[in-house]
Amino acid sequence: MHKRESHNDMSTIDRRDFLKLVGAGSVGAGAGFMLAEVNKHPVEYLIPYAVPPEEFSAGIATWYNSVCSMCPAGCGITVRTREGRAKKIEGNPSHPVNQGRLCALGQAGLQVLYNPDRLTAPSVRAGDRGASSFTQITWNDGLARVGERLTGLHEKGQGSRICFLSEGVRGHLGNLLELFMEQLGSERLMHYDFAHPQTLYAANKRFFGEDSLPYYDLENTRFLLSFGADYLGRWISPVHHSLGFGRSRQSGHDHRGRFVQIEPRMSVSGAAADEWIPAKPGTEGILALGMAHQIVSQGGYTGDDQGEWAAVLEQYSSDRVADQTGVAADTITRLADAFANTRPSLAIGGGAAANGSNGVDTLMAVSALNYLAGNIGKAGGMLFNPPPAFGSTSQSRQASYQAMTEFAEDARQGKIDVLIINGANPVFSLPAAGAFAEALAEIPFIVSLSSFMDETTAMADLILPSHTYLESWGDDVPEPGIGFPVGAISQPVVSPLYNTRATGDIILALGQQMGFEAVLPWATTENFLKACWQKIHARGATTEAADDFDSFWRSILQAGVWGENVQNANRSFVIDQGVVNDIGVEAAEFSGSSDAYPFVLHPYLSNALYDGRAANLPWMQELPDPMTSIVYGSWVEMNPITAEELGVSEGDLVKVESPHGEITVPVFVYPAIMPDVIAMPIGQGHADFGRYASNRGSNPISIFAPQIEPKSGSLAWGATRVKLQVTGQRVDLLKISGESRELGRNIIQTTSAWEGATEHAQIDSIPISVVSS
Amino acid sequence: MNIFERFTRGWQKYRRPGYYEKFDYAWTMTVDLDRCTGCEACVTACQAENNIPIVGDKDIAKGRQMQWIRIERYWQGEYPNAKLSFIPMLCQHCDAAPCETVCPVSATYHNQDGLNTQVYNRCIGTRSCAVYCPYEVRYFNYRDHHWDAPLEQQLNPDVTVREKGVMEKCTFCIQRIRMAKDNAKDDGRRRVRDGEVQPACVQTCPAEALVFGDRQDPQSKVSKKMNDPRAYRVLDELNTHSSVVYLKKVDADG
Amino acid sequence: MDKLQYADVNRDVVRSLVETGRGYYTTLAIAIAVTLICFFFPWFYQLFYGIGAAGNNHPAVWGTYLASFIFWIGLSHSGTLLSCVLHITNSEWRKAMYRSAEAMTLFSLMVAATMVLVHLGRPWFVHWTLPYPNQMELWPNFKSPLLFDVMAVTTYLTGSTIFIYMGSIPDFAAVRDRTRGWRHHMYVLLSLGWRGTDTQWHRLNWAYTFLAVLIIPLAVSVHSIVSWDFALSIVPALHQTIYAPYFVVGAIYSGTAGIVTVMFVLRKYMKFEQYITQVHFDNLGKLLLALSLIWTYINILEVFTGWYSGTSSEHEAMKFKMFGYYAVLYWEMILFCAFLPLVLISKRFRTSFLPMLILSIAINIGMYTERFLIVGTSLSRQYLPDAWGLYVPSLVEISILIGTLGMFTTMFLIFVKIFPSVSIYEVKETMDKPEKKQSEGGAAWQTTS
Ligand SMILES: Nc1nc2c(c(=O)[nH]1)N[C@H]1C(S)=C(S)[C@@H](COP(=O)(O)OP(=O)(O)OC[C@H]3O[C@@H](n4cnc5c(=O)[nH]c(N)nc54)[C@H](O)[C@@H]3O)O[C@H]1N2
Ligand code: SF4
Ligand code: SF4
Ligand code: SF4
Ligand code: SF4
Ligand code: SF4
Repeated sequence: MHKRESHNDMSTIDRRDFLKLVGAGSVGAGAGFMLAEVNKHPVEYLIPYAVPPEEFSAGIATWYNSVCSMCPAGCGITVRTREGRAKKIEGNPSHPVNQGRLCALGQAGLQVLYNPDRLTAPSVRAGDRGASSFTQITWNDGLARVGERLTGLHEKGQGSRICFLSEGVRGHLGNLLELFMEQLGSERLMHYDFAHPQTLYAANKRFFGEDSLPYYDLENTRFLLSFGADYLGRWISPVHHSLGFGRSRQSGHDHRGRFVQIEPRMSVSGAAADEWIPAKPGTEGILALGMAHQIVSQGGYTGDDQGEWAAVLEQYSSDRVADQTGVAADTITRLADAFANTRPSLAIGGGAAANGSNGVDTLMAVSALNYLAGNIGKAGGMLFNPPPAFGSTSQSRQASYQAMTEFAEDARQGKIDVLIINGANPVFSLPAAGAFAEALAEIPFIVSLSSFMDETTAMADLILPSHTYLESWGDDVPEPGIGFPVGAISQPVVSPLYNTRATGDIILALGQQMGFEAVLPWATTENFLKACWQKIHARGATTEAADDFDSFWRSILQAGVWGENVQNANRSFVIDQGVVNDIGVEAAEFSGSSDAYPFVLHPYLSNALYDGRAANLPWMQELPDPMTSIVYGSWVEMNPITAEELGVSEGDLVKVESPHGEITVPVFVYPAIMPDVIAMPIGQGHADFGRYASNRGSNPISIFAPQIEPKSGSLAWGATRVKLQVTGQRVDLLKISGESRELGRNIIQTTSAWEGATEHAQIDSIPISVVSS
Repeated sequence: MNIFERFTRGWQKYRRPGYYEKFDYAWTMTVDLDRCTGCEACVTACQAENNIPIVGDKDIAKGRQMQWIRIERYWQGEYPNAKLSFIPMLCQHCDAAPCETVCPVSATYHNQDGLNTQVYNRCIGTRSCAVYCPYEVRYFNYRDHHWDAPLEQQLNPDVTVREKGVMEKCTFCIQRIRMAKDNAKDDGRRRVRDGEVQPACVQTCPAEALVFGDRQDPQSKVSKKMNDPRAYRVLDELNTHSSVVYLKKVDADG
Repeated sequence: MDKLQYADVNRDVVRSLVETGRGYYTTLAIAIAVTLICFFFPWFYQLFYGIGAAGNNHPAVWGTYLASFIFWIGLSHSGTLLSCVLHITNSEWRKAMYRSAEAMTLFSLMVAATMVLVHLGRPWFVHWTLPYPNQMELWPNFKSPLLFDVMAVTTYLTGSTIFIYMGSIPDFAAVRDRTRGWRHHMYVLLSLGWRGTDTQWHRLNWAYTFLAVLIIPLAVSVHSIVSWDFALSIVPALHQTIYAPYFVVGAIYSGTAGIVTVMFVLRKYMKFEQYITQVHFDNLGKLLLALSLIWTYINILEVFTGWYSGTSSEHEAMKFKMFGYYAVLYWEMILFCAFLPLVLISKRFRTSFLPMLILSIAINIGMYTERFLIVGTSLSRQYLPDAWGLYVPSLVEISILIGTLGMFTTMFLIFVKIFPSVSIYEVKETMDKPEKKQSEGGAAWQTTS
């Protein structure tokens, strides 16, 4: 049942179409059964099978549906395989999040699978910690070593001295981890992702009483106000947002959505926006409230609690806000009016704006805007999501920076005996000031389940390398949902390349060793998953053609995605009285005085390298940065005026010094950044992450202030001030673009105000001047 | 009609606009600049689909990048009114392609689908096609490239790996076009359905800025897009009759 | 010494062939060494590594190899071309110098041909540019200016070869009669049984003149066609109607300068003081002056049309050429090729050997620069500014450039030992008939001419 033709791209998916689609996918299923019989090392054969199993015929491609795990957006993928090797990752058209599309990072997943620097077998530390010299051992040996440690502590009832630190894991695998740690009697199950939008969750909890992400309906909005959220870049779900953006912009509707971006440094979304407005870093929330004030004072809001709002917003008159934010008063009022009068409109917040010392307040202010303009629960505004259809979300276990520092403290005090690391790389993605690496050094026994050697795994005593996502079973609940319950199965698309094991299998194996059979009876992750899905199947209320479980299972493997027939979660929203009085934003505080450290450091997630996890993928290293076209390295962006004052130009090395450390990076003169702000991409500067990433560029996280956003406990990574020292040396910035101006050549042509299709261009009948016909 | 007349007739016929349209298909791509976000997903998709080598930082430093589709970026204005616009640049599959006339061995020529094809085996590496191409979308193999094992296991078996000394460029994913045609034939269909062929870049474009199809079919999506008043061709004044049609970026306040 | 006799001519010329000093051998050895070390080794490395050994990149895919190609083709002109023109116009002063001038043509053409091989990404398939029936049932692309090149250059090479050989037959005979041993046998073959009968003389003159007339348009076409490799593109600054005449004039200009250089060397080291005289340098000087003026005029035109086009692409290309990364080279070219040659106005300068040598070398340096700028700067500034780049030659390229000089010298050194590098019989035509009673050489000329 291999797939014969490429997907016809789908214009739009609403819930009904989507449910029709599910199960209709014509894609290879049951890869699991098949792969079970598969030779472990297909790579040694030109044609792997004398008598090929089902779906393996030489020269004909087979597609398998799965889930992209390169970032938390959870797009559905369809992997094209030939002769048992993965050739190309494509978007799964049936998946409502990405609808057949993928971002560059998702495309590059194949280089995770086939990365030359993968860990190929269990191994124990040979040299000192961090020296990353290891000797290989057998799985039994490896598992036994962990097993005995854990059993020891478990029997003594000291389970709490065991910590499991994982990257964000969703779905049933999340439950499995919880079950396991529960059995061990440990509360210390922590997920840590640098880019996890913790302040957004916190703000939503405070404002809407929901510890989850709502659905931002970009596709149907006609006016988007983004306060620092790079929704087309790496903010939450870039592919889905890009779909929405594109369709709002140009899909033959009678309207063209207007997009306004407010941020001190122009992001990809800023470039795409119709209007880019630089506001002083950390004052975005104040700006939002300034607009709120305008809306309320103009009678744009007519709720019963209008009075309270007026009172709360009183001090945010546009003039005062203008002083604080550096945005002209008339701009504020203009935007506010447009936001209130354009229906539907939507305000979102993220990036550095949401991760300053006032991150939660800022996002509350943004929510207030949506509330006052009446965008809540409306198409084209923000919609509530139902609770996840199954499994756990990574939010429920996400460790704030505060939690991480507390953990580090416990480690220093010797309260931790065993640390199991799964994918997370905190040594890279936490500020050096937190001295996390030093804390790890205090832990007697560290196990890493990572597929790659990285800064954190280098500290491990034992490595039990896990499969990559393309070799493992799993399932996923996209976060945020898309307004109705959705789940996706991720299945292995190739047989494992090396002597590695799926994370779930490792946990289950350990469970066996410790005699947790009662609770963890499953032999493999696959069995575990099927058991879980049997429950879902029993719930009924699911897509068609699924009477017995096996056909149900096959159909969701075919579709790669599953949706549940429950009513849309949208409820009318009544704001809690307390919330209104909770609204209010102080200008953000920065670490470092403004005269000693004149510049605000504006970090942002790299389009290609995300939070640094993709730095070991050559395709991503060689992918030009959208705004600068730079490849293979780090740089610091500054306004031409700033550069002139410093007397530096492109390629000059400057020392970027914060109160907590310094790094040396080449200058890139950036036309769209505030003069007293400098920006740096996150992602480079790995010390030990394979041949492509190691010792390349520098890691801005290392000089971040260890400052905590009080209301969420998360790291305020937008709260660092720096000073710049010119070193006098220079390097050649590796970039693709030459001249950055068009010189009036009219290459990118523009047309003014858009009024739908009127007259027709005769593009096909341009006369050729050279011809006499 | 003497030999001279015959020659000139033939020559003019060859140069007449629409000459290629009488072939089986006229594959065309439209690029909506009002949608393109510059995300570069198309670049990686193309690199993955077409076995485009990873040239490495040293060759990049020498200006020898090879991605067949690139995103050009142009700044306008100064802070605080600076604007950045993106434009994806790939082989425009010109119907009057300068690169084709100059190739001494006809290693690059126009096929019956209106594609500007590149025959690697025939190329002797004069690089003149790259000089004659005004869009700078031809990339030369300055050395033999290799993939660190096991990265080579990803290589697409439907696409050749090029050796040193030959020119390469966007093929409109001809292998996918061929596949679709075969499938159509197997299913007893005369023509490939609209949307049945999706080049890797088009397929992945998250903003749906890219659309691909046959402009001979008036009902196809590209044909409709080409009738958008925003449609234009880059460097049209050079009369290359490109098969890549751009849709103007909308400047709402302009 | 007293007035030159026919006999002296034979003696001197034959001496130049048979008597070889140690100086000759050392020069030859050095030339061969340079060819091997500077040309062949780097080239083999490049064949192994790929064109990446050169400095080319995206978008500057062409570089010094093509510049050298144009340069050597250019040098090849005014060897044969000049010789032909002067032959038809019976200008006496030609006769002492034309043989070595023609030789220059031959060898520059050969060097130019090798430059094509060096330039190609896959030279082992160069034969695909030739129209021969083959199992692939494929013809080359006759629309391609590069193919015009192949045709033109090969034709010109053949023509020049026949021309120089034909003109040498009587002299081979002369030498044949004054040599013995293997040399004798060689010249027996080379002279094709020349006995100097009237019929032979008649046919030779007819055929020689015929070829001369034929070769003139050929030579002109060759460099026009070379210019089309560039002019037929739509690259700003290359896409110019002026290019054909520009290249032809440039070619004759550098060619003539080349002749001056060679004349000086022959005169000095082959002891041809009495044959190559101030007259020759004076006339060549006048020619150079005329050419330099035309060349300057065309350069002004090039800049003007670029500016007048009013398009950003032309302007930027011109700006880059004149004031960009390679501005120094541009102005060096203008100095060497437009200003310095103005001194040729003075007869005293034209008739003094060493200054003429220096000037001629300066002119050819300038002319090489011209070719480098054409190839090296235009491609970096084309239509899409985002794709702009910069090209800097690599060490391999520079080494190969030096190597080609060695190659040329080697071939020339071998030539002067086989061909009488001054035409014996035509020089005699320029002399008065000898008196009756003869010094011993007499018989020689009576039997031969
Ligand atoms: N009855 C009959 N007998 C014939 C012929 C006939 O026409 N009819 N033809 C004769 C001729 S011309 C030939 S060439 C021979 C061919 O006879 P064989 O050489 O035996 O060729 P096959 O039987 O096609 O393939 C042999 C085995 O190799 C396996 N194989 C395929 N690919 C690979 C691989 O990459 N690695 C490994 N290790 N195994 C692989 C195939 O699955 C098959 O099991 O038969 C001869 N015998
Ligand atoms: S957005 Fe995230 S999940 Fe979606 S394709 Fe890109 S990396 Fe994968
Ligand atoms: S993938 Fe689409 S949106 Fe992204 S850069 Fe390419 S064309 Fe533009
Ligand atoms: S874009 Fe360039 S390479 Fe492509 S067909 Fe046109 S001229 Fe040829
Ligand atoms: S590089 Fe190859 S394709 Fe291009 S012109 Fe030369 S031979 Fe033809
Ligand atoms: S059409 Fe195919 S080859 Fe051309 S750029 Fe897109 S993906 Fe690459």
